[in-house]
Amino acid sequence: MNLRAAGVVFRKELMDTLRDHRFLITSIVVPILSFPVLMLGFGSLAFVVATRATQQEQKVMILGALHAPQLKQRLEKVKNFAIVPEAADYTPRINEKKLQAVVHVPEGMEENLRAHPGQAQTLRIYHYEGELRSRSTVSTLRQEIRGYGDALVGDRLKGRGLSIELLTPFKFEQTNVAPDERVTGNILGLMLPYFVIIFTLTGAMYPAMDLTAGEKERGTIETILASPTSRADLVLGKFLLVLVVALVTTILSLASFAGTALAGAELLQRANVKFFIVISGKAIAAVFFMVLPLAIFFSAALIAIAILARNYKEAQSYLQPLMFVVIFPAMASLIPGVRLTTVLSLVPVLNVSLVSREIFSGHYPWDQILVIFGATSVYAAAAIYVAVRQFQREEVLFRT
Amino acid sequence: MIEALNLSKHFKDKKRGKETGGKVIAVDGLSFRCQPGQIYGLLGANGAGKTTTLRMLATILQPTSGTAKVAGHDVVEQPEQVRHHIGFLSTATALYGRLTAREMVEYFGRLYGMNEADLARRIEELFTRLDMNSFKDGRCDKLSTGQKQKVSIARTLVHDPPVMIFDEPTLGLDVMTARTIVGFIKECRQRGKTVIFSSHVMSEVEKLCDHIGIIHNGKILSEGTLDELKTRHQLYDLEDIFVRVVGDSR
Repeated sequence: MNLRAAGVVFRKELMDTLRDHRFLITSIVVPILSFPVLMLGFGSLAFVVATRATQQEQKVMILGALHAPQLKQRLEKVKNFAIVPEAADYTPRINEKKLQAVVHVPEGMEENLRAHPGQAQTLRIYHYEGELRSRSTVSTLRQEIRGYGDALVGDRLKGRGLSIELLTPFKFEQTNVAPDERVTGNILGLMLPYFVIIFTLTGAMYPAMDLTAGEKERGTIETILASPTSRADLVLGKFLLVLVVALVTTILSLASFAGTALAGAELLQRANVKFFIVISGKAIAAVFFMVLPLAIFFSAALIAIAILARNYKEAQSYLQPLMFVVIFPAMASLIPGVRLTTVLSLVPVLNVSLVSREIFSGHYPWDQILVIFGATSVYAAAAIYVAVRQFQREEVLFRT
Repeated sequence: MIEALNLSKHFKDKKRGKETGGKVIAVDGLSFRCQPGQIYGLLGANGAGKTTTLRMLATILQPTSGTAKVAGHDVVEQPEQVRHHIGFLSTATALYGRLTAREMVEYFGRLYGMNEADLARRIEELFTRLDMNSFKDGRCDKLSTGQKQKVSIARTLVHDPPVMIFDEPTLGLDVMTARTIVGFIKECRQRGKTVIFSSHVMSEVEKLCDHIGIIHNGKILSEGTLDELKTRHQLYDLEDIFVRVVGDSR
């Protein structure tokens, strides 16, 4: 193996790739922007829409209001609530979103509450399932009715010389003793391993196709094969470029994720919501140690598959299904019940997903970390071997 | 010098080899010799085995049997040495569109192991000789067809190889660009290089080649100088000779 020749190939591929607008968009711009757009953009949009839904006028109809004058009085005082007169056409009006909810009061309700305090009264609420304003109105409505009920019970107990405290024999005080890093890690450990694995794969995908099937499509493969560079050096140079891009994409995505999460936490804290993000450097280093052989494995495997294609389009159709093959084991970290066992330590992708979750939550199972690093390294070496072999197969290089 | 010794290439193709159980004999025991300062022309129709032969000489494909010596090196035993001594140009040979003309030639110079000082000197010399200085910093995908061909020529010559392999280099080119290529091939001969050239254009082969090998179904059916072929087949037009030789083999 001639490292100088591989270096020449790598430098050329790097220069070529950096000038490719498609690459810059796919592997740099999209990973950087996806988190802020998804998390902050859509999050803010959802927040605005939800806030507007609660702030807009919410029309409520009380069927049988004469049986519940106190409740009616209470509901009339609710901010943004407009009590509309009773009418028979409430169903079409709810469907047309002209009316958000209807409360059906049973006959003689308030009288019955006084006469038969032990008998519960059934209130029926009509609404539009899944419609934002209707849902918000129902939520406020239930809260108000519950408050009305609590006030009634309070009065009853008071009338008998008893305290409302009678109904609440327990009070809770919770104190978190876990360090902030572990608390954050438990949440991040569910999602981050999945994102890291998927970004490593998608980062490697575009250059792997461009440097193999793209080379065939452009007709440059014959030229390069007629040069004295050995096939192994050629693959090594290309592989290094794919690996670097995969790692850079992953690092950029994670930086974008961290930046977005910190910005989100700051916004939530300003809105008086307790939320914080703490990730230790040790955890990041350990996860990178796990991801490195996986990135090598992905890069070499993608090259080995993409070189089979005659052109870029065909390569896309070969590699897209691979996404699904990787997504499922990568999602292991999202499933709370799945535990890392010795057998699972040998399953590619799934092992990295599970051990990364452990690491992010502050637990370092060193023996399993080493087994996973070793196993993934073996798979990576096998993938490199297959990639080099593919470049030596004439039927692959000159497929017609 | 190029010396092919019983060179054969078989491969599997279910579509083309229906009658032979998928086996296709692309080149069948080819032997010929091409001397320095001469142009050897492989003349044949599409699918005759020209490209496969030249790819084997360039060590892009490995012979199924037989071998060839290129600049004294065996294509089977010393493929890397062979590649150091050849320049390979074909119609299919494309350029890296996002590199400039200069970067393209530099890349190949480095792949041939040239040091930076020699490479800079050689590029200066080639770009002046081929009148390429006006577009040396232009991206290859923005160049005209003629300019692209000049970049390909410079790329092929950067390491000053003693053996040149041309696989239908003028196919699909306009007259002016084709003339540049033909002129370049003649210049290679003048500089004492061993040149092998494949084509199915009779006039081009007639004009350029010192030795002609008529290839059909992977075999050389007739070989010699143009005069020798005329005498042997009692015909005065290369096209007639070609039709007779190929027709007789059926």
